Amino acid sequence: MFNLALKNILFYKGRSITTLILTFISALMFIVYVSMMDGSHESMLKNALKVYTGSIEIYKKDYRDIGGNEYLITDVQKIEKELDKIEGIDTYTARYETYGLLSSSTQSSASLVAGVEPLKEPSMSQLKVALVEGEFLSPTSGNCLYAGVDLVKKLEAKLGDEISFVGAASDNSFAADLFKLCGTFRTGSFSFDASSAFIARAYFDELMMSHNKASYINIKVHDLNDVDTINTQISAKIDDSIESLTWKTLMKTMVDAMEVDSIFGYITISIFYVVIFFVIMIFGFINVSSRIREFGTLRCIGLSRQKIRTLLFYEIFILSSIAIMIATPIGAYIAYYYSVHPIVIDGMSEMYKDYGIISDEIPFSFNLFTITWNISVVYLLNILSILYPMAFINSFKPVEAAHHV
Amino acid sequence: MKRILLTLSLLSALAFGDEASDIMKRIDDNQRGQNVYMQMSMTITSMGHSRTMKMQSWAKGTKKSFVKTIYPPKDRGITFLSLDNQMWQYIPKIERTIKIPPSMMLQNWMGSDFTNDDVVKQSSIVDDYDAKILKREGKVVTIELIPKEDAAVVWGKIVSQIDTDTYTSQKDIFYDEDGEEVRYFIYDKVKKFGKYYSPTVWKILPSDKKGNSTEIILEEVKYDQEISEQYFRKSALKRFSR
Amino acid sequence: MFKLILKLAWNNAFLRLSRTLLVIIMIAVSMSMLLAIQGLFDGMAYNMSDKMLRSDSGEISIYHKDYRLNKIIANHVTDAKTIKAKLEQDSEVQAVVTRFSVDGLSATARKSSFANIIGINLEDEEKFGQFSDFLKKGTLDFKKRGALIGGELAKTLKVKVGSKLVFSTQDKNGDINSIALRIRGILRTANVKLDTSAIFIDAVRLDKFLGIDKNIATQIAIRTQSSTLQDKLKKDYPNLSVKNFLEINPMMQMMEDSMVIFNSMIFVIVMFVVFIGILGVMYVSILDRIREFGIMRGIGMKYSHIRLQIILEALFVGLMGYLVGALFGFSGLYYLENVGLDLSAYADAMESFGYETILYAEIKLSYFTNTFYAIFTASLLSVFLPLRKIKKMHPIDVIKADT
Repeated sequence: MFNLALKNILFYKGRSITTLILTFISALMFIVYVSMMDGSHESMLKNALKVYTGSIEIYKKDYRDIGGNEYLITDVQKIEKELDKIEGIDTYTARYETYGLLSSSTQSSASLVAGVEPLKEPSMSQLKVALVEGEFLSPTSGNCLYAGVDLVKKLEAKLGDEISFVGAASDNSFAADLFKLCGTFRTGSFSFDASSAFIARAYFDELMMSHNKASYINIKVHDLNDVDTINTQISAKIDDSIESLTWKTLMKTMVDAMEVDSIFGYITISIFYVVIFFVIMIFGFINVSSRIREFGTLRCIGLSRQKIRTLLFYEIFILSSIAIMIATPIGAYIAYYYSVHPIVIDGMSEMYKDYGIISDEIPFSFNLFTITWNISVVYLLNILSILYPMAFINSFKPVEAAHHV
Repeated sequence: MKRILLTLSLLSALAFGDEASDIMKRIDDNQRGQNVYMQMSMTITSMGHSRTMKMQSWAKGTKKSFVKTIYPPKDRGITFLSLDNQMWQYIPKIERTIKIPPSMMLQNWMGSDFTNDDVVKQSSIVDDYDAKILKREGKVVTIELIPKEDAAVVWGKIVSQIDTDTYTSQKDIFYDEDGEEVRYFIYDKVKKFGKYYSPTVWKILPSDKKGNSTEIILEEVKYDQEISEQYFRKSALKRFSR
Repeated sequence: MFKLILKLAWNNAFLRLSRTLLVIIMIAVSMSMLLAIQGLFDGMAYNMSDKMLRSDSGEISIYHKDYRLNKIIANHVTDAKTIKAKLEQDSEVQAVVTRFSVDGLSATARKSSFANIIGINLEDEEKFGQFSDFLKKGTLDFKKRGALIGGELAKTLKVKVGSKLVFSTQDKNGDINSIALRIRGILRTANVKLDTSAIFIDAVRLDKFLGIDKNIATQIAIRTQSSTLQDKLKKDYPNLSVKNFLEINPMMQMMEDSMVIFNSMIFVIVMFVVFIGILGVMYVSILDRIREFGIMRGIGMKYSHIRLQIILEALFVGLMGYLVGALFGFSGLYYLENVGLDLSAYADAMESFGYETILYAEIKLSYFTNTFYAIFTASLLSVFLPLRKIKKMHPIDVIKADT
């Protein structure tokens, strides 16, 4: 039966080639399109995660809702000890954030001021990379302030200027100090660049009396896919007053937006599928209807309907397989290539920075699981497309078919 | 600071009568232009710890006040000047005078449960609120103060329990627009200063931050003393810091 | 003769009914999906730019030279009302509004947030951009110290219609002043900036609050259809910054461009595949009847008549598909235009990106004309190959041919 199918495929070249080409195109397009879509979503997320947010963050409950010094984590070391025991965590860092008034000699601006660990931060966030002028913090940089470019612009300050800070220490007592502007950064997110400034924890903790305290602990996991498992492990080890949240919660709006975008992507690509499905079906149907007599003869010499079905199935299966076998490596290669060498559109980040896009690169996603399900869909559609021709041919009586003109 | 103190003293002197608002008006008129000097200690409890600060305050009328921190040593010499709705702060440690911008107005004042806004806001019990007597129990009258439509106050209402012997408040409860409690002011130890009664212990309890409180004890109060205009200039911030 | 050919073509088109039906269904389904998606995408893009135009910039906006960089009270247009009155005399100008806007802090008893207060005149705004259209909840007026507030800001402050709000900012002298506002309505403008921070109040009230001259404004926005007005205004007001919609919202240009490219790409690919489908059917259908054509030529029918017959046959099939597709496509679009696609499940995300939670499609005549041309062309092209085959064959061979 299989050999017969092969022979038929070779014999009816028109149908075979069309089916091959269409299947090839659809498989290739599907793989590349989904890879691009997923890739750009992943990169948006990764970029967003890179900037400042962690893939997992640990908070005292209600800190995110109410905030303030009452909801600080008060025993950072204890939690960090637990984190050390969990596999899959790359690094973590405890940040102490507060809102205060920063003033230059002429201007003031309320801003986020965060004490960060200068040695850990570069591997956790984009802060160091985002440097525009001056230098990033170091453990010994003392009262050096590292501020967003737009904040610096608002303050009308320049490198080396004194910036005063007035705020509340971690015990709510009054805190004020003079910082020195040592570096400026630009992440691309205006709201972040216009209202955040950083200072080395070692110095800031003295001023704020925030030793062993943190607004939250920011965790970077080795593989983003493990984030849920790791989160469960963390949640099991911390007490009830503390919550551990993944980026899916921390950046819900963004996650939702991507889902919406994916829905549109799939709707769009489904049009191609519908059309290609019909065309493959039409070719299958035409092919079958031109072979009515042949099938009639086959039935007359004793082939059952089931066998006919098998024959047709083999034909489409072989055709689809060949097409997919060619398309998959090519598609996978394209996906892989562009995942390593992303497409660059100059000026894209500038244009879309309000929407949180901070890179000009559109990387593709290379994921074998995605590719597998993509080609499965193509297989399935192709096989579905032969159902109608099967039913059509089997609706003839053998003798009638054998005499069909 | 002067603003709260004045508001409080207004409340405390709140008389009881059929026309609550009428009486409040008389008291308000009576208070305007008042010169007050006070020395007080403020104990702030939050997160299981308490700290105490001491300050001096000079106030003239409802619009001018000057506050100086004298304890603890870390904060000594921090001064505040409020004129109308504006507030300036001088911090000796960094030798800077800073004007508090609108965006910082709702931040805590010196880590207490007051906001900067509480300290400078010129909300007037008479101009900004409509008063209504809710109930009377012996000498205590409960009055409900509902902000007038155009009053720039965030509260939904304030409910005050007033002791009609001394015309001082025992308790003020601040509600949000939905009628939920936001914070309480509790007053105690009423004393007579000259012709005025005033509670000498005030306590603020925010409803959503359990365990937090701010307690002010008036250690010295002098009414109707001449206060130099020099206190109410920006130059005073630095000058009187020492 | 033509009538006969027409009849032949018609009959032949439906000779193999199921085959023809398949083609018609293919065209119809792909076409209606294509239309629906294009309509939806266009609808989204149009909706967004239209709302930004109406809620903020208009076709042209005039600012103080430095305002867009540094949004402070000092950077205002001094004789805004005079300019407005002058512009209103201009026949090219459809509507003009002046707005005054200043940043500050909005607060309730529990929450506070950065906000941007904008003084407007509701009547002017209505003329300018059907302002009432943005109202999602409440009523559109400034009665009783009323204010209209952006939807996202309302969410941040946890306020609803009827809630009270205190807004504080520095007036023209730099003094901090506060104003009590009562929320009369909540707006959704699709303009992210407005939705997250805007509080609209009566212009007269804001002027009084800030202590500013009522003749000044931070922005003069103009509605016009004229493409030359901007240059004229630039000449008339050399000291002001005169910007058009796309200069103010460069995003929108990029979005529209990419939408056009994307839509055309889908269109071309889908139509190409449709073409292959028709081609296959026509090809086989002609091969099936090759003997028939041979006989027809044998009995003296001209090749051009046969060609005409086949072309007509293909067109019949194509047009039937088009008609069914247009019908389905139109009903789909009509549904999407009136009922819309409900994405409330993702309301947060949609709203924060300036989209409605229910997406409405746009119906453009061009969808139908473009697909008509495309299908017409595809049908015509599809007979090209089969015809060559017939032409090449000698009538006698054709008759003898055994299919």
